[in-house]
Amino acid sequence: MSDRDEDDAFAGEFVLGTLDPEDRRAAEQRIAQDPAFARTVATWEQRLAPMAAIPEAVEPPADLWARIDQATGTVVPLRRVRRWQFGTIAGLAIAASLAAFIVLQRPEPAHVAVLSPIAGGTAVLLATEESGGRLTVRPNGAIQVPTDRDLELWALAKGDTKPRSLGVLPAEGRSLVATLAPDTQLLVSLEPRGGSPTGQPTGPVVYGGTLSRVN
Amino acid sequence: MPDSAALADDTATLLHRCAYGDRAAFRALYDRWGAKLHGIALRIVRQPSLAADATQEAFVQVWQQAHRFDPERGSAEAFLVTLVRYRALDIVRRTTREVLGYEGADEPDDSPDALSRMVSSAEGIALKRCLERLEPNRRKMVTMAFVDGLSHGDLAQKLSIPLGTVKSAIRRSLLSLRECLAA
Repeated sequence: MSDRDEDDAFAGEFVLGTLDPEDRRAAEQRIAQDPAFARTVATWEQRLAPMAAIPEAVEPPADLWARIDQATGTVVPLRRVRRWQFGTIAGLAIAASLAAFIVLQRPEPAHVAVLSPIAGGTAVLLATEESGGRLTVRPNGAIQVPTDRDLELWALAKGDTKPRSLGVLPAEGRSLVATLAPDTQLLVSLEPRGGSPTGQPTGPVVYGGTLSRVN
Repeated sequence: MPDSAALADDTATLLHRCAYGDRAAFRALYDRWGAKLHGIALRIVRQPSLAADATQEAFVQVWQQAHRFDPERGSAEAFLVTLVRYRALDIVRRTTREVLGYEGADEPDDSPDALSRMVSSAEGIALKRCLERLEPNRRKMVTMAFVDGLSHGDLAQKLSIPLGTVKSAIRRSLLSLRECLAA
């Protein structure tokens, strides 16, 4: 067997799943370090995947979606985080009761969003948009902003890759007029005083949430 | 709840929408693929609670890594299947088979028409044709390894064949499949 066949067979065994744990770890390390080997593995993944048609579908436990939803609920997708050069984020569960709280507090909002702190902290921002296009963003507790910085509010419409600035957001909240589509993400970044000098976020995203219709 | 647009989208489009944080697309992906991926995981780990763990981990990765999916380089189906299989294999390789009740548990009998389930895609038809060119014992080893997550050692024990024979049979089978699929 040539070296190339040797590598190819090893990659195939990894994808097939027959390697013992030690060899499997060795293969994983090589995937991480050797792009050519990683491509060979990816090719085997494509070749062998049709065998996944053989097992029968089996309904998962009824609560599985709720578990997945909770585990992924407020994690800003990596594509955006990378674009904005923001480091590690922690997934945080939105308290569903907060959304109910807003609905009770403010009659007839058309859309609401709970903007959760990305990197920890307890205060959240509640955003409500009434049918006329008036957006109100209020914190439910004290928000600390460094004295040389400002918070800036951004709207990222579904399918867009660049957020639109909705202006600087005082720590006590603010009302503004904005026309936003449902499922728009609202994000808050930490910027120099007066807001981002570039028209795009330059600092870390500290709050994020998605605007959804109130039924 | 998935919106109507999400229901009409194909899997690749749903993955693309997930990469941009679209929760409706993510839910639609779960509705379409949850039972299938869970079925794949269950065959490998054999225990329902572990299969649910593998399926959950796979979907969390789908959400976090949807941006890595590149339709130029592979199918969306293979992307999903690969994620759940690796999670299930990780679980099964760090748990002993005894704990999972492997001894005495029988795989559902996939022959003779199990391969017929592969004909729903062009790639599946090609792989089925190439698998059918392997000698029956080797074909069985390859499908059992993939579907049931059996290691070289598991196969040797189950089929009462020396470990070295299993390893060389798998390698030769893989290289035959490679040649056949390239032809």
